[in-house]
Amino acid sequence: MPDPTANLARTLKPKTIVVVGDKRANGYMWLRNNAEFTGDLYSVQVDPTEIPAIEEMGVKNFTSLADVPGEIDYVLCAVPRQIAPRIIADCAARGAAGVSLFTSGFAETGEEEGSALQAEIGNIAREAGLALIGPNCMGLYNAKLGVRQSGEQLTGAAGPVGFISQSGTHAINFSLTGAAQGVRISTSVSCGNAEVLDVPDYLDYLTDDADTSVIAMYVEGTKNGRRLVESLQRAAAKKPVVVWKGGVTEAGARATQSHTGSLATSNHVWDAVVRQAGAITTESLDDTVDALKALLLCKPTTGAGMGLLAMTGGQSVVITDAFVRAGLDVPLLTEASYKELASFFNIIGGSYRNPLDIGGTIGFGGQQEQLQRLLDILDADDNIDALAIELASGFMARRWQADPSSLDSLLDQLVAQRDRSAKPLVTILHPGHVEEIAAQARARVVERGLPVFHSFERAAAALSKAVAYWRSRDAASAT
Amino acid sequence: MPSKTSESTADIIATAREQDRTILSEVEAKQLLAEAGVPVVEARLAKDRDEAVAIAGELGFPAALKIVSPQITHKSDIGGVKLGLADADEVAAAYDAIIKAAKAADASAKIEGVSVQRMADAGIEVIVGMTTDAQFGPVLMFGLGGVMVEVLKDVAFRVVPITERDAGDMIREIQGFPVLEGHRGADPADIAALQDLLVTLSSFIEAHAEIAELDLNPVFAYADGAVAVDARIVLRSPQDGTTSADGA
Repeated sequence: MPDPTANLARTLKPKTIVVVGDKRANGYMWLRNNAEFTGDLYSVQVDPTEIPAIEEMGVKNFTSLADVPGEIDYVLCAVPRQIAPRIIADCAARGAAGVSLFTSGFAETGEEEGSALQAEIGNIAREAGLALIGPNCMGLYNAKLGVRQSGEQLTGAAGPVGFISQSGTHAINFSLTGAAQGVRISTSVSCGNAEVLDVPDYLDYLTDDADTSVIAMYVEGTKNGRRLVESLQRAAAKKPVVVWKGGVTEAGARATQSHTGSLATSNHVWDAVVRQAGAITTESLDDTVDALKALLLCKPTTGAGMGLLAMTGGQSVVITDAFVRAGLDVPLLTEASYKELASFFNIIGGSYRNPLDIGGTIGFGGQQEQLQRLLDILDADDNIDALAIELASGFMARRWQADPSSLDSLLDQLVAQRDRSAKPLVTILHPGHVEEIAAQARARVVERGLPVFHSFERAAAALSKAVAYWRSRDAASAT
Repeated sequence: MPSKTSESTADIIATAREQDRTILSEVEAKQLLAEAGVPVVEARLAKDRDEAVAIAGELGFPAALKIVSPQITHKSDIGGVKLGLADADEVAAAYDAIIKAAKAADASAKIEGVSVQRMADAGIEVIVGMTTDAQFGPVLMFGLGGVMVEVLKDVAFRVVPITERDAGDMIREIQGFPVLEGHRGADPADIAALQDLLVTLSSFIEAHAEIAELDLNPVFAYADGAVAVDARIVLRSPQDGTTSADGA
């Protein structure tokens, strides 16, 4: 039997897309989602009441897949479920590389007819080697090619994150939330019921995809756990992999006669699987985006020694609490560092033991040459592996608003620091009472490619996960 | 340390199948494990009082005796376990008491005899086990014994097969790891021996797809070495690959 994964590369980087069954009732969403597609976009629709509006969009419509000219790489199918087998058969006969089914009402319903229909389309696709995505999914997102799951998604500026999702909503939300924080996507697949192609198939593809340097996924379960473990292991040895596991899927009525069996809840085992494979577990959308920021926008580190920079005494204490609770260290600096700090640090209303309470010394950002001395000391300090600095929105937001250059020059300085140093640098910008100004300020941090977090706790959790990944990869390559 | 009554692994499993059992006796489970190189406190089956006394004399005192009956799974609840037996007289008396208690608890139970072993020196109690996960297949578990596992569920899992590094990660992952490192001046446990035990067990499980679940509870960890004091093995039911619902 031909291998559907052999057609996956062509499907995920299509030159020709055909949308089958798009209609007014859903706002022609699939043609609109793909209006900026860089290749050839066609429609197949037999309903004469729908065709004029489709052609008004400038899309050539055919009444059969057989009539579409040239090679077909990716078919987006939105027909009712009873018609789905016929369309899948047409895709197979026409030699299309792949198809995704937005159509739902299959095995996810738990009823007999839906399950039978799903098995039927699966068999047609498997026999033809057709890369069938879904059913019951939102298909593909490839920003560079303009293939989208939602009209909200960006086109053009792609990133290096590959995303696999068993939920269409999470695929879209991740791409939007991530992009707003500097985490952009190369390829995203919403894999739905995964009748033919399952999570490991997409994972294998992304592992070898040159456009993808970090992989994340949202999964609720798997049909073939052993294969997933192998794919995860192979992927995590090459690139960071983040697994957001949704749902507490208890084994339920499973009979167990051992003590071990009664303790092995499904999520406990999932966590172990991810850790064993050398990947990272996350628990929410924000958690996932944060972890990717730390993996993508920070230089890799296996060291946990944090150099912490906060603007006031109170913040120095709680930034330390956050990083220590996340399992990272806040070590003393070297004697050489202390000696140099003692020569200029303003200890009236400040301290430098680590954490460094620096507001007074750097004029809350106004005295950048002082900040540079501090950054250089931490950069040279052997006890320090990574830096975290508070962008104190509580005090500074009004000044940033009144004088945007005050923030810009500070950020430019941090970008230069990041570029010259081997140590990762994260920033924290709390929304505080100035949410809108903070959001604007955050956008300016993001556009410079610096990782910015909403809280000390989120920054600490993300960095801790990144350190765990790089350590595990280090240990794996050492054995 | 295979005993003189040693049957091969295949024979033990075949016997259980013939008798329509999915649960192996402690004696059988330990023979299987010993053959695979997993350190266990040797247990032998005594079919009468004299044999119990003879075995105890051979294995050494203090001795422990436990009822062996497929129908009796909660051995200590019915008075089927006697520990710390100092000499031959105590073993003889314990044998009689156990058989009497077993018959009183379940007159129809088939009594194979009594398992006899030497009491292991006390060590740090850990639990090692294996179960079959619906999605991932056989998984290994490691944890500290007693309250740590009962109440806090402080355990670590890995999918079989595991590497030596995985074994080390499992041991260090549990919250109670400092206990193994030698808490308050106590001797640290032999981590390498625990690691070996886990890796050997992983190979054993990989080689025996017919095993559905396994508990080594407790395992005693010493400053030098580790040994499984009790063992329980549950076989897959032959028809459908799932465990049967009898027993505990």
